[in-house]
Amino acid sequence: MHSSHIDPGDTAMTTTDAAARFLPLRPVEFDILLSLGRAPLHGYGIVQETEERSGGRVQLQLGTLYRGLRRMEEEGLIVEIDTPDHVAKEDERRRYYALTELGRAVAAAEIARMEALVREGHDRDLAGEKGRA
Amino acid sequence: MIDPGAPVPVRLSAALYRMLTGLYPGDFRRHVGAEMAETFRRRSRDAWSRRGAWGLAGLWARALPDLLLTAFHEHRRPSRTSGRTTDSPERGHTMTKTTMTGGSTLSGWLSGVGQDLRYGVRMLVRNPGFTAATVVTLALGIGLNAATFSAVHSIFLRPLPGVEEPDRLAQLYQRFQGDFAYGSNSIPHYRDLRDRTGDVFENVAAYSFQPMSLSADGRSERIMGMMVSANFFQTYGVEPLLGRAFIPAEESRDPGAHPVAVISHGFWQERFGGSPEVLGRTVVINGHPFEIVGVTPPEFNGPMAVAEPPIFVPLMMQREVIPGADRLDQRRSSFLQVTARLRNGVIMDRAEAAMDGLYRQLRADHPDSYSESGGITFVPQSEAGLHPSLGGAQMGMSAVLLAVVGLLLLIACVNVANLFLARARGRRTEMGVRMSLGAGRGRVIRQLFTESLVFSLVAGGAGLLIAFATARILSAVEPPVDGPWRIEVVVDGTVLLFTLLVSLAAAVAFGLAPALQASGRDMASALKAGGARSGSRSRLTRVLVVAQMALSLILLVSSGLFLRSLQGATAIDTGFEAEGVLLARVDPGLQGYEREEARQFFDRLLERVRAVPGVHHAALGMTVPLGFDSQQTGIAVPGYEFAPDERRSIDYTIVGEGYFEAMGMEVVAGRTFGPVDGPESEPVIMVNRRFADRYWPGESALGRTVASRGERRVVGVVETGKYKKLGEDPLPYMWFPHDQVWSSSMILHVKTAGEPGALAGPIRREIRSLDPDMPAADITPLETHLGLALMPARLGGTALGLFGLLGLFLAAVGIYGVMAYSVAQRSRELGIRMALGASYGSVVRMVLKEGMALAAVGGVIGLVGAVAAARLVEGLLYDVDAFDPVAFGVVPVVLLTVAALAVYVPAHRAAGVDPVRSLKSE
Repeated sequence: MHSSHIDPGDTAMTTTDAAARFLPLRPVEFDILLSLGRAPLHGYGIVQETEERSGGRVQLQLGTLYRGLRRMEEEGLIVEIDTPDHVAKEDERRRYYALTELGRAVAAAEIARMEALVREGHDRDLAGEKGRA
Repeated sequence: MIDPGAPVPVRLSAALYRMLTGLYPGDFRRHVGAEMAETFRRRSRDAWSRRGAWGLAGLWARALPDLLLTAFHEHRRPSRTSGRTTDSPERGHTMTKTTMTGGSTLSGWLSGVGQDLRYGVRMLVRNPGFTAATVVTLALGIGLNAATFSAVHSIFLRPLPGVEEPDRLAQLYQRFQGDFAYGSNSIPHYRDLRDRTGDVFENVAAYSFQPMSLSADGRSERIMGMMVSANFFQTYGVEPLLGRAFIPAEESRDPGAHPVAVISHGFWQERFGGSPEVLGRTVVINGHPFEIVGVTPPEFNGPMAVAEPPIFVPLMMQREVIPGADRLDQRRSSFLQVTARLRNGVIMDRAEAAMDGLYRQLRADHPDSYSESGGITFVPQSEAGLHPSLGGAQMGMSAVLLAVVGLLLLIACVNVANLFLARARGRRTEMGVRMSLGAGRGRVIRQLFTESLVFSLVAGGAGLLIAFATARILSAVEPPVDGPWRIEVVVDGTVLLFTLLVSLAAAVAFGLAPALQASGRDMASALKAGGARSGSRSRLTRVLVVAQMALSLILLVSSGLFLRSLQGATAIDTGFEAEGVLLARVDPGLQGYEREEARQFFDRLLERVRAVPGVHHAALGMTVPLGFDSQQTGIAVPGYEFAPDERRSIDYTIVGEGYFEAMGMEVVAGRTFGPVDGPESEPVIMVNRRFADRYWPGESALGRTVASRGERRVVGVVETGKYKKLGEDPLPYMWFPHDQVWSSSMILHVKTAGEPGALAGPIRREIRSLDPDMPAADITPLETHLGLALMPARLGGTALGLFGLLGLFLAAVGIYGVMAYSVAQRSRELGIRMALGASYGSVVRMVLKEGMALAAVGGVIGLVGAVAAARLVEGLLYDVDAFDPVAFGVVPVVLLTVAALAVYVPAHRAAGVDPVRSLKSE
């Protein structure tokens, strides 16, 4: 598992505070964070990972994706890293992205926000039979 | 990022996307542009492999709005350096919207696009004159691109129809010493290719076109059928529609033991009315009965894109199919094409490497048989085209045609851009109002761009009609050659996609500049100024004049070069006189004649034909120069030392008495073949001047010895002519006498003073009177036959001539349009000048001078481009210098004249107008 400590100065507390300011995330941003959760990927890898994960329902469009990547890089949620050693020849020289500590914190905060929403939904009996199971 | 192995649509799709990333701001593009293009290339590849052209179309349908939208947003983004926080305007804005619409602004965007589309369609309907001019111009440009692409695609690029996974197929050839990389294969060589490559190939099949005398239900005719290995259909992944394919076991049995045939769907329909009872019926091939065991499915046309063999018979029936020859164990008798199917997961490189290893083994096992060969050439099916030896020419000519129609489209786009610019002038007030009411610059650009898109898509639709019409015309062309040739030009999904992409590219090309221009910074001030001209506007107009001139010059010079080349090709001295010669193919061997019977048949036929009134000469020749057939054989020349890599194989043919007279070939020394050169006489040979000069430089060739099919004495030397193609360098050539070197397949050459076609009837009667069953349908004048050699030049020349004329027309209209527009823009200034006392002459001179200066700049740029283009096409020109003074001299003069007229007319009009009125009209 890789780890990139890009924001070493942040304490856990301030990171959480900082993360809250990014919520709610756009769908593409959350998809990017999810895809990079396991390992660094390049753009094509993110598209493939998202497509597989969603069973083909989510197909990221490249303009939206790269705009998102660029913005998130500027905001410090992700960082471009050197090409991992094990990749195929075709994938050398591609731009690989990895999560930063801030990125992880933002993902966690978004998940917490969503969980809260889901709980609310259950409390108000909006989730339906399937959701209750 | 270039991926030569990928299918053409994928490469096209990737290239277009890469181009479109140019719409993003420079900063964004530099950062991730290349990355996006690469990711899109892979997405295209995935979409293509999953769903073909539809997959690509779907990918684009989603990618294009995304690209336009995000490019638009990137342009609006204020700062890119500072990390933003929640209170940055964009995020704040999006968040509100996100909250309001429940997660996406897409629906809002879509309804905006819908609005723009409706508005675009209204614009299309409201101004029919403008619409007609733009749509017709664009439709011509797009249509010619679509038509040319569909022809190139159908003939060279399209995967073979009806074949399973054509990407896994490859062609194998024998490489010979010298420069011949694409030689055929012999039967034993094929067996080794099949049996010793199991690690890389799943199957290896062989096939060969063979003339056959075929009779079914009482009618006999000469056809070009195909002799194939037993695993042929398996290798191509073809399941028969009816009955069965050949089974590999049929190959291990005794030769000749399995007289079965598979017929094509077309032949089944034509000869058997599509009856299912065809299985089990008998056809007679060369006098031997064959049982029909299967019918191919309608989509499979055989292993070549341009031919449709009617019947397939097993390779093990070779002795019956090619009477008088036993090639089953002759390792040096090469006549087969070989196709291999790669095992799943084996890459082309590995298969190619395996071929090198196999060749070394074969050479070690059979040193004699491979003394002249240099290896195995491996060509992926997708790169083979018609035949890889045509490689350079077929691809070169296609590229030239595509480049020319591309240029034509650019010229059309410049014309249309100019029309749009002129119209934008009339809409400045409208745009001003929109912007003052709060429409952003991006919003106005999007609206104008959508309008362009509507226009170009309508034009694309009209262009498709042109492509369909052209495809029908081209499919009806019958090549003047013997064989089941059929050029099928189709407009399929790939062509549709290509047309869509071309239309989109055109919309970007002609729509974006006027759109940016029309929504320029000073737009709001347009309300106040009431349409005063802007500095950048006239700069754009000047750029259009220069571009128009440069593009037209490149197009016309290139077309001119090819027209000159066509002129050159028809004037090339072939070394024979085609006029008045009629050809009739006769093969008594196919009718089961033994050699002696066949000889008597030929003698009697010649005697009778020579007696027909109007016949000057009649003679036999095995092949016709400049046709498809050519054959070589090895020679040795006593006293001449061959260099290690020098070719020992020389092209030859076999001819009878009177041949050189009938063909009007000039004998420069010695004599021609005569009755003295009988079977038992001294073996003799004739050679051409090139042959004599090469092996006996500076000495007489007469009386010298050539060892080929025995030792032979040279009795005559013929002037060097053209043998294989018109553009060839002088080639050594030799002729064997038919009485000494036997062939049962011969062509009767009849020379007459009159119209050769008129003799076809009498000659057919003579053949039938000797043997009523002898097929005699294939009788054509030599000049028609030569059409084949001239066909590339003729087709290319006709197409380029048409394109050139159209280009000249578009260029004239376009140059006039931009000039007239730029002069009209200056009418106010010209009015002031005249009010201040400038004379008519001085105003006309001034406008002319400025206009011609632009034309000259364009001309110089165009000349540089034309020189570069000429260098590229140099190899495709027959007998014409790449810097042909006619093409390079006439075209600029014509274009400058057109430009001068185009400037003069509006200048004259402007200078003739009453200055007061012209000032008031502003």
